[in-house]
Amino acid sequence: IMNVFGLITIGLILLCTTTISSLQCNHLPLQQRKMIENSLQLLDKMGKKFPQQCLREKMSFRFPEQVLKPRQKEAVKVAIEEIFQHIFYIFSKNLTLAAWDGTAIEQFQNGLYQQIEQLEACVTKKQTHYFHSNEVNRLKLKKYFQKIDCFLKDKQHNLCSWEISRAEMRRCLQLIDKVVRKL
Amino acid sequence: GCVHSCRFEDFVTNETEWKELPGCQNVTHTECDFSSAITKYYDTHHVRIRAERREEVSPWSSTFEMNPYLIAHIGPPGVELQSINGVIKIKISPPEANQVRKMWIAHLRFKYNLVIWENSSNAEFRSQSIFPTDTIDDLAPDTTYCLKVQATLPLDLQEGLFSPIHCVKTTHKAVNDLLCATDVSILALNMKFHLHWNNRYKQHVSYNVQYLIGYLKKLHDDYSMKWLSVPGCENITDTQCNFSSIISTTSGIYYLRVQAMSEYNKSCVSNEVKVDPLITNEIGPPGVKVDISDVLLHIQISPPGGSENEVMRDHYDLSYRILYWKNSSNNEEEIKMKEIKQTIGTISDLTPLTLYCVKVQAFSEVYNKSSHYSKEECIKTPGDKILHLVILATFVTALIAVFLVATPLGFALYQVYNKIRYVFFPSCQPPLNIEGFGGQLLSSPYLSTTEEPIENCSVIETIITEEVNQTDFKDYIHSKQSSRDSGNYSNDDTSGSKVSEETLEKEIV
Repeated sequence: IMNVFGLITIGLILLCTTTISSLQCNHLPLQQRKMIENSLQLLDKMGKKFPQQCLREKMSFRFPEQVLKPRQKEAVKVAIEEIFQHIFYIFSKNLTLAAWDGTAIEQFQNGLYQQIEQLEACVTKKQTHYFHSNEVNRLKLKKYFQKIDCFLKDKQHNLCSWEISRAEMRRCLQLIDKVVRKL
Repeated sequence: GCVHSCRFEDFVTNETEWKELPGCQNVTHTECDFSSAITKYYDTHHVRIRAERREEVSPWSSTFEMNPYLIAHIGPPGVELQSINGVIKIKISPPEANQVRKMWIAHLRFKYNLVIWENSSNAEFRSQSIFPTDTIDDLAPDTTYCLKVQATLPLDLQEGLFSPIHCVKTTHKAVNDLLCATDVSILALNMKFHLHWNNRYKQHVSYNVQYLIGYLKKLHDDYSMKWLSVPGCENITDTQCNFSSIISTTSGIYYLRVQAMSEYNKSCVSNEVKVDPLITNEIGPPGVKVDISDVLLHIQISPPGGSENEVMRDHYDLSYRILYWKNSSNNEEEIKMKEIKQTIGTISDLTPLTLYCVKVQAFSEVYNKSSHYSKEECIKTPGDKILHLVILATFVTALIAVFLVATPLGFALYQVYNKIRYVFFPSCQPPLNIEGFGGQLLSSPYLSTTEEPIENCSVIETIITEEVNQTDFKDYIHSKQSSRDSGNYSNDDTSGSKVSEETLEKEIV
C-alpha cells in the first residue's frame, strides 16, 4: 500500500512540474501577426519614399521563398524566428547615414526583439529539429542575409545601401505576413 | 599517410575546376591549415590529396566533402568581470569579436549561457541565460565564485566552447540599502500602467522612475546610459508612478526601475521589473445594459477600457462570457452561460413574468486572461402576449354584451313603469267637455234617469256661444252660474232637473 501511495505521490509531483513548466504560448500567432503589421508600418514611417538616385544601385538578393513553404508547418515557425534574428542584427548596425527616424527604428527593433524572445521560449526542440534537418534551406537563408551584410559593408553603410536594404527587408516581412496569416 | 610531400586541391560545388589550396602544397606532415583558402562558408567543398615524390605522383585520393558552416563549432566568448556592491557585473564579447571574416556573422543571434558555482567542495553548478551586459545579483557576500560562459545558437543546435573559468570574490553589500525602493511591482488595468513600491527610509526621499527600451539589453553596447526618466515621475515623493505614456505600442518589452535619492545626495537604484505590455496588463470588467422586447433579452456590452480603447479589442481578440439566471427566492436556480464575440447578445429561452439577472466577463482565450465579472443587471420578462390579448378581448366582449342586453332591458322596464304609472296615477284631468261622459260613467249606465219632459222653450237671454267656446273651463262655469242667476228659463216644473244640475255642479266643484 505504501508503495502505491509513493508512486501516486511521485506521479502527482511530475504532473505538477510539467504543467508549471509548460509555457503559455497560445497568444504567439496573434501577437506575431500584429507585430508584423506594426513593423511594416514602422519601416515605412522611419524613412521617406525610396530615393530615385538609388535605383541604379539596386541589387537582386533573391530571398529563398521555399524556406517559408516547406511541407512541415513546424519548420516554417523556426525559419521565421531565424529571419527575425537576422533582420534585428542588420538594423542594429550604423544607421547614421540613413538619417531615419530614431524613434521608429527603436520601436521596430523592440518589436522584433520581443518576438524573438517569445519564440525562443515557445519553439520546441521538435520544431527546431524539423528545421535543422533541412540543410539546403537553412544554408540558402544564411547566404541571403550574408549577401545583404556584405552589400552594406561594401557600400560603407551609405544612404542608398540602407534604402535598398530597407526595401528588401520590407519585401521579406511582407512574405512572412502572408505565410503567418495562413498558419 | 603522406611520407614525402602532399598536395591538396579543392573544388567547390558549382565550380568546375580543381584549385590548388595555398599553404598546402609540398607539405611534409600529415596535416594542413587551409583556412585562408576558404571564403564561401555556406557552400560544399570537395578536397582531394595526392602524394608526390620527385617525378612520381600517386593517384588522387577519394574526395572529401565538407561544408564549412555545417562542421564549424562556435568558439569561446570573451568575459570581463567586476565585483561591486555584493554583485558581479559581467560583460561578454562575442566569439570572433575582432575578426574581419566571420563564420558567425549575425553575432546578435548568440544566446549566452553562464555556469556559476561557489568555489568550495560539493558546490552546486547553476546554469542560467544571460545578456551580453548583465548583473549576477543573487549571490552571498564575501564569497568566491567561479564561472564560465558559452555562446549558443539554439536554432542551429549549436553549443559553443566554454570560455576559460574566471573566479571572483563578491564584496559586502552596500550600507545605504535602506534608501532603496523595495517591493517594486506593477498594477496594470485596461492598458493603464502603474508602478508601486515601498520604502523603509525614515527621512525625506525623492524618487525618479526610469525606463529602458528592452531590446537594448540584447546589444553588446553599454546601456547604462540609456535609461530614461518616465515623464511625470521625476523627483516625486509619492511611492507610485503612472507610466502608461511610455508604453506607446504593445509590441515591445520595457524595463522599469526606481532611483531613490536622499537629501544628502545619496542615491540607490532598485531592482528592475520587466513589462511585456499585453502579458502584464489585466483586463477590466465590461459595462452591461439589459433590455427586454417580447421574448428576447438584449444585452448591450460596452468593452473594457471604453469604446474608444481599440487596443484591447484589437490585440487580445476579446470574447465575452455571459452568465444569466432566474432570480427567485428559490436559490436552486441553474446559472446558464453563453459566450459571444460581439458586443450585443440576445437570450431567447426565457419564461414569461420572471426576473432574470445577467453578469458579463471579458476574456482573451489566447492570452489566457479574463476580467472580473461586471455588476449584475436584472430585468423582468413581460407576460405572455397572447394571454393579454385574450383578457382584453374577453373584457371588451363582456362590456359590449352587457351594453347590448342592459340597454333594451332598461328601456323596456322604463316603458312598463311608465304605463303602470299612467294607468294608476294619471297625471292629467280629462277636459270639461267630456264632463257628461264622466257623470254618466260614474252612475250606472243601466239606471235610468228621470225622463225629461219635452218642453217648448223660448229664448229669454242669448248666450254668447262663442264666448263659451273660447273662454276656459272655469270661466265657463262662472258664466253658467251667472246665467242661472239671471233667470231660470229652462223648465218650470223641472226641479228634479235643477237638482240634478246642482248635484252635478257640486260634484264638479
